[in-house]
Amino acid sequence: MLPDFTSIPYRTARHTPRGSVRRAPWMTPEGTPIKSLYSEADLQELGHLDSLPGLPPFLGGPYATMYTGRPWTVRQYAGFSTAEESNAFYRNALAAGQRGLSVAFDLPTHRGYDSDHERVLGDVGKAGVAVDSVEDMKLLFEGIPLARQSVSMTMNGAVLPVMAFFIVAAEEQGTPLHALRGTIQNDILKEFMVRNTFIYPPGPSMRITRDVIAYCAAHMPRFNSVSVSGYHMHEAGAPADLELAYTLANGLEYVRASLEAGLNIDDFAPRISFFFGIGMHHYMEIAKLRAARCLWARLIKPFAPSNWKSLALRMHCQTSGFSLTAQHPLNNIVRTTAEALAAVFGHTQSLHTNALDEALALPSAPAARIARNTQLFLAEEADVTRAIDPWAGSYFVEALTGKLMQRAWSQLQEIEEAGGMTAAIAQGIPKMRIEAAAARKQARIDSRKDVVVGVNHFRAPGSKPPSDLMTVAHEAVLSQQLQRLNRVRATRGPIVVRQVLDGLRAAAQKPRANLLEWAVRAARARATLGEISQALEQEFGRHEGTVPLAAGAYLAESPGTSQESLALSDHFAALEGRRARILVAKLGQDGHDRGARVIATAFADMGFDVDVGPLFSTPEEVARQAVDNDVHVVGVSSLAGAHAILVPQLVEHLRTLGRPDILVILGGIVPQEDHNALLEQGIAAIFGPGTVVTEAAAQVLRLLLNEHHEPVQR
Amino acid sequence: MSAADYVHGIRQGDRNVLARAITLVESTHPEDRALARQVLSLCHPAPEETLRIAVTGAPGVGKSTLIEALGKRLVARGQRVAVLAADPTSIRTRGSILGDKTRMPGLGLAANAFVRPSPAGIVPGGVSHAAQQAIQLCEAAGYTFTFVETVGAGQSEVAARHITDVVLLLVLAHAGDELQAIKRGIVETADIITVAKADGTAASLSKTTQRQYQRSIRLFPPGPSGLRPRVLTCSAVSQDGLAQVWKAVEAFEEAIRTSGHLERNRTVQARDWVLQAATDALRDDFLQHPAVKERLRQMQEEVARGKRGPWAAAEELVRTYRCA
Repeated sequence: MLPDFTSIPYRTARHTPRGSVRRAPWMTPEGTPIKSLYSEADLQELGHLDSLPGLPPFLGGPYATMYTGRPWTVRQYAGFSTAEESNAFYRNALAAGQRGLSVAFDLPTHRGYDSDHERVLGDVGKAGVAVDSVEDMKLLFEGIPLARQSVSMTMNGAVLPVMAFFIVAAEEQGTPLHALRGTIQNDILKEFMVRNTFIYPPGPSMRITRDVIAYCAAHMPRFNSVSVSGYHMHEAGAPADLELAYTLANGLEYVRASLEAGLNIDDFAPRISFFFGIGMHHYMEIAKLRAARCLWARLIKPFAPSNWKSLALRMHCQTSGFSLTAQHPLNNIVRTTAEALAAVFGHTQSLHTNALDEALALPSAPAARIARNTQLFLAEEADVTRAIDPWAGSYFVEALTGKLMQRAWSQLQEIEEAGGMTAAIAQGIPKMRIEAAAARKQARIDSRKDVVVGVNHFRAPGSKPPSDLMTVAHEAVLSQQLQRLNRVRATRGPIVVRQVLDGLRAAAQKPRANLLEWAVRAARARATLGEISQALEQEFGRHEGTVPLAAGAYLAESPGTSQESLALSDHFAALEGRRARILVAKLGQDGHDRGARVIATAFADMGFDVDVGPLFSTPEEVARQAVDNDVHVVGVSSLAGAHAILVPQLVEHLRTLGRPDILVILGGIVPQEDHNALLEQGIAAIFGPGTVVTEAAAQVLRLLLNEHHEPVQR
Repeated sequence: MSAADYVHGIRQGDRNVLARAITLVESTHPEDRALARQVLSLCHPAPEETLRIAVTGAPGVGKSTLIEALGKRLVARGQRVAVLAADPTSIRTRGSILGDKTRMPGLGLAANAFVRPSPAGIVPGGVSHAAQQAIQLCEAAGYTFTFVETVGAGQSEVAARHITDVVLLLVLAHAGDELQAIKRGIVETADIITVAKADGTAASLSKTTQRQYQRSIRLFPPGPSGLRPRVLTCSAVSQDGLAQVWKAVEAFEEAIRTSGHLERNRTVQARDWVLQAATDALRDDFLQHPAVKERLRQMQEEVARGKRGPWAAAEELVRTYRCA
C-alpha cells in the first residue's frame, strides 16, 4: 500500500556515510583499505593472475567450461514438520525447476534425540524435519529416485544415524551405494566454533567425521563425504578473511585426520566440498570465492596428490540470513538477488537463495517460490552464464582477491602456529575472534555506520509482516512422530536391536572399527536415532562446551551510542543497591548463539551484570538459574521457533518458584502474530531482528525502573 | 521481607530466600546493608562441621571445571555443596559477564548444590567481603562444603585465605627448567597446589612441573597450618587425579581439625572481621549522613577548582560528620 504523501513533511533524506566522495580509503570489516580508483598498477605484484579455469590453482573455477556447459545447481535447503510433508514440498520444488535437494533436519535430530525425549518436545519438527528412524527417512524420499537425485544433508552431530538411515533407505529403494550422489555436511569442527549442534567431545567427534569420510571413500565414490562450512561462521559474524581462513583450516584438519587413518589423499580429497555464506559486500564475496579455490590448491599441493581433482575446491553457497530484515520483508528479495549474483560471479557449483520471510519464520510456499525463481532469473534470463570467470582481470577484483588471500593466509598461520584447528578451538582462538567481529558489526549497525535500508537508514512507516507466514502444527507433528516411533519399536526384533547396539558400543572402543558400518547395521535393525546416539554417548560422553565471553568489543566500536543506557544503568544501580542483572538464556535445542552472545557482551558493556546460561536448557532449568542468581530479567534468544511453547513455560516456572517479579524478555525471530499471545502470557517485551542493542538495553532498564522504583521521565 | 523472614527461609533451606539473602549482603544500598547485618547476626553461629575451600589460580586454568568435577562427586555422595564465584567487573562500564552457570552445567542444576556467581564489583571491602558473608548464609542454609572461586591475581588469593579453611591453588604445566612463578607468597597462601589439565600431551610435562614445585616448596618454612603444601596433578577431562585432590583436601581438613588450627584460624578470621564490619557500618553511616552528602559535593567541587587539596577536604568532611 502506498503511504499518504500529503501527510509526510517534505525533507530530504539525510546524507548517508557513503553519500560523499571520500578521499581516504574506506576500511572493510576485514581491515582491507578500499581505494576509489584501481588501475593496472594494482596488478603489479599479484602472483595469481596467470591461471585458467579448470586448471590448478582453479582461481577462476574448478571446471574448464563452467556455466557455459551447465549452470550451477539450484539447491534449496528445506525441511519441516514430518517426513510426509517435507516429501511433498520436495516433489513440488523439483517439479518447479529445482535441481538438487537439501534436507534441513529438526534440532532434536541434530542433537541425537528421538522425538519423544523429554528435553526436546518443544523443538520437534520446528526448524527442520523430524527423523527418528529409517522409516522416516524412507518416507522423506518416497517417489524420489535416489539413484538420479542428488541429496545434500546438513547433519553433523548425529551424522552416523542419519547417514546410516539414508544408506538403508536407498538400499531398500533398490539403489546401489556406489550410485548415490549428494553431500553430507559432516563438518564437526565448526560446530565447536559457532553452530553448537555437537553431541560428543571433540576427540570422538573427529573420529566420527573421519569414519564417515573413510566409509564414503570405500563405498560411495560419488558422494561428498564432508562439506566444510564457512557459512555458519559468516552468519556468526566472521568477516571474509576469517571465514576463509577458518574454513580452509578445518578442511586441512580433516585431510590430516584422514591421512592419519591410512587413506590416500586421492581417495577422499576430490570428495571434499565447501560451503560459503554470501553477504552484501558484493565484491568482497566474489573475491572470497575466487581466493578460496586458489588457497585450497596451495594447501593441498604439499600432500602430492596425483589426481588434479584433489586440488579443486568445489562449493555450495547460500545467501546470508543475517542480512535479511524483519522490517519490510519484500526488500529481502532485492538483498538476496544482489547476494546471489555475487555467488554466481564467484562461480559457485550450487546455490541456495533465502526466502523473503526468513527473518520472520520458515519460508512460506510463495516466498520459497520467489527465492527459487531468483536463481532461475539469473541462470536463464540475465545472461550471466555466457562467459567464464567474468571478473577475471578486473583491476579492483583481482587486487581485492590478492589482498584477501594475504589476510586469510596470515589468519591461517595463526591457527597452524596454535597446532592446527583442533588445538586452536581448545584455546578458544576462532570463537573469540569471530565474536569480537560480531560485536563490532552490531555496534556499526547500531551507530548507523553500516547502512541497513529500512532499518537504521531510510526508515519508512507501515512495514507490515506478510500475512501468510508458514507455521508448523506442532501438536499434530509431535503426535504423528510419537505414533510412528512407537510402531517402529513395537514391530522390530528387540534382541537384534540390542545386539547391534552392543556391537556399536564395542566398535566405539576399537579405534580401527568404522562406526558408520556399525550404525548401518543398527539402522537396518530399526534402531532409532536416539538409541544409536545414546549407545555412543555411553562410550564418549556428551559434550558441554563453552568458551568464556570477552566484554568490550561492542563499546570499542561505538563508544558514543551507549551513553543513555549507561546513565540509566547507573541510576538503577544507585536505587537498587546493585547493577541490573540479566540472565541471557537459550531454550531448547537451538545452538545458534550469535544473538545471545552479542547481547551478553553488549549488555555488559552497558553496565549490566550478565549471567550467561548454558545452551540447550529447559524452561525449568532456566527458571532455576534465574532464581538462584536472583536476576532482575531473563532474556531469551530464540531463532528456531520453539519460543511459543517454551517461553510461556519459563514464565510459569518462575511463578511456581515464587518469583513472578523476574521479567522475561524475548529476542530473535518471533512472528508478529505471536506477539500478542506472548505479551498476554506475561512476556515483558519482544525485540525482533534489527533492534538497536543500546535501545533495547535502555528499554529494559526503563521497564525495571517502572517495576521496582518510581517511573522515570524520558 | 524482615530479617526474621530471611533467617527462617534460610534455615528451611529455601534456595529462593538464600538467593535473595546473598543479593542483600552484596547490596550497596544503605538500608539493605543494615538489614544484611541483622540477618547475618541472626544466622550466627554457623554450624560447626563445615569446610570452606578457596579455589584460586590464573584465569583459564580450569578452576570452574575442577569445582564442577569435585562438587559432582560430593553431591553424588549425598553432600550439600555451595559454590561462590566472582567474575571480574569492567571498570569502564561497571558491567560484568558471569559465566559460571555455563562453566558448571552439572552442579548448577543439581538439587543439592547451589552455584552463585557474583560480580567482583567495585564494592567496598572487595570480593572477599561479600563472599565471607555469603559463606555464613550458605552454611546456615545447610551447605556443608562451600567453594569460593576467585580470580587469581595476587591480592585476591590473599583475601581468599582470610575467609576460608583451605586454599587450593591451580597452576598449569610449565615449560622451562626453573619455575619463575614459585614465590614465597604461593607457599604462604596455598595449602594444596594442583597442576591442572594434566592430560594428553601435557601429561608428562605436568609431572615435571609437579616435581619442580615439590622441590621448591621445601626451601620455605611451612605456613601457619604447620603443614607444607602438597603438590598434585589432575585432569577434569580424563578424571585422573581428581580422587587424589579430594583426598588431599580431606587429609588437610583432618590434620587441621586435629591440630586445632581450623578452629584457631576461624577465630582469628572472626576477630579480623569485627573491625572490617565496623568500618563498613561506619562508612555507610558516613556516606548516608545528610550533612556529609551535602558537604561532600561542595568539597569535591572545591578540590576540582583547585581551591583546596584533597586531604584538607577529607579532614573537613570528617569534622562535619563528627559535629553533626
